[in-house]
Amino acid sequence: MTDREIFEKVVELRSAGVEACLATVVGAGGSTPREVGAKMIVCADGTTYGSVGGGCGESQVKSAALRALLVTGRPELVEVDLTDDLGTRGGDVCGGRMWIFVEPLQKKG
Amino acid sequence: MATDLWERVCDLLEQGRSACLATVVASEDEGRVGRRLLVLPGGQVEGTTGLPELDRQIARAASDALADLRRGWVEIPEGHRVFLDVLAPEASVLVCGAGHIAVPLAEFARTVGFRVTVLDDRPDFAHPDRFPGCHVIARDFREALAEMPLGPHWYVVVITRGHEHDAECLEAVLRRPTAYVGLIGSRRRVGFVLEMLGRQGIPQSRLRDVFTPIGLPIGGESPAEIALSIVSELVCVRRKGPGQARVLRRAVEEGS
Repeated sequence: MTDREIFEKVVELRSAGVEACLATVVGAGGSTPREVGAKMIVCADGTTYGSVGGGCGESQVKSAALRALLVTGRPELVEVDLTDDLGTRGGDVCGGRMWIFVEPLQKKG
Repeated sequence: MATDLWERVCDLLEQGRSACLATVVASEDEGRVGRRLLVLPGGQVEGTTGLPELDRQIARAASDALADLRRGWVEIPEGHRVFLDVLAPEASVLVCGAGHIAVPLAEFARTVGFRVTVLDDRPDFAHPDRFPGCHVIARDFREALAEMPLGPHWYVVVITRGHEHDAECLEAVLRRPTAYVGLIGSRRRVGFVLEMLGRQGIPQSRLRDVFTPIGLPIGGESPAEIALSIVSELVCVRRKGPGQARVLRRAVEEGS
């Protein structure tokens, strides 16, 4: 999804009162699958829009987003170490690190 | 937020304008995390972090990021890490001619992040069913092009069914700035079209901007392979600039 499509989805979800979290790649080092600025929306029911990592690290990002959404309720900066995935999935080529900013989206007031 | 910056960002991108969404992603002052500003080219600022001095420093960093179109985070005293999300209109591809190459071309271009518009004067070819997710225009080429807001983030692919339409499209397109213009065809057909345009007053320097024959020379033959070579060239121009695409062409031609 393009940035524009992501932001349009953010506006749509907020208007609909859907609980969701926006995850943005704000830093990256080493070999990473997506570039700085890549974004993903994670809804409370697990639905996602966009991608920040394809197969690599996406589950970690999703977990961090759901934690921010359902547990802490606060935005935070999370480091995702993709070398963890390297050992468990033989075919993956990712080996870097990403810093993801996850923030719960407030419903439109 | 005092104003809804999300909606504001959507409006700006829809209008084809750039902006930098600056967000405090880490801070010694935890209450500041998640605060953001929207900074426009020219320096206008919307939103606030709640600290006027921090706002000023962020606005300066954001203006620099906008000028360079460079995303990333910056450390701002005292103890704030701010992510500068430079948002620019999506690179848009205009496909002139909705024949057999246009279908895979539109799909590939969308996959790699371009926004795609397809134009043809034949309604059965320029049909939304053939081009899901694209803006499809069934209209006389000249009329449609006269009204399109082409600009520096547009990549134009001219693959119509005949040189008359090729020339029509190019004449309209070449009078405006674009990121890329490519024309399909044999060297003979291309030469004919460009010569015609030269006689109509298009400057030689602008004619030289046209990539012909269109697409990186990967030897593609099927419509999908030709589409792949065209989209590869578009990506190369977007990432590295037109000079790099021309270098690649020469390298392959010299190697053959």
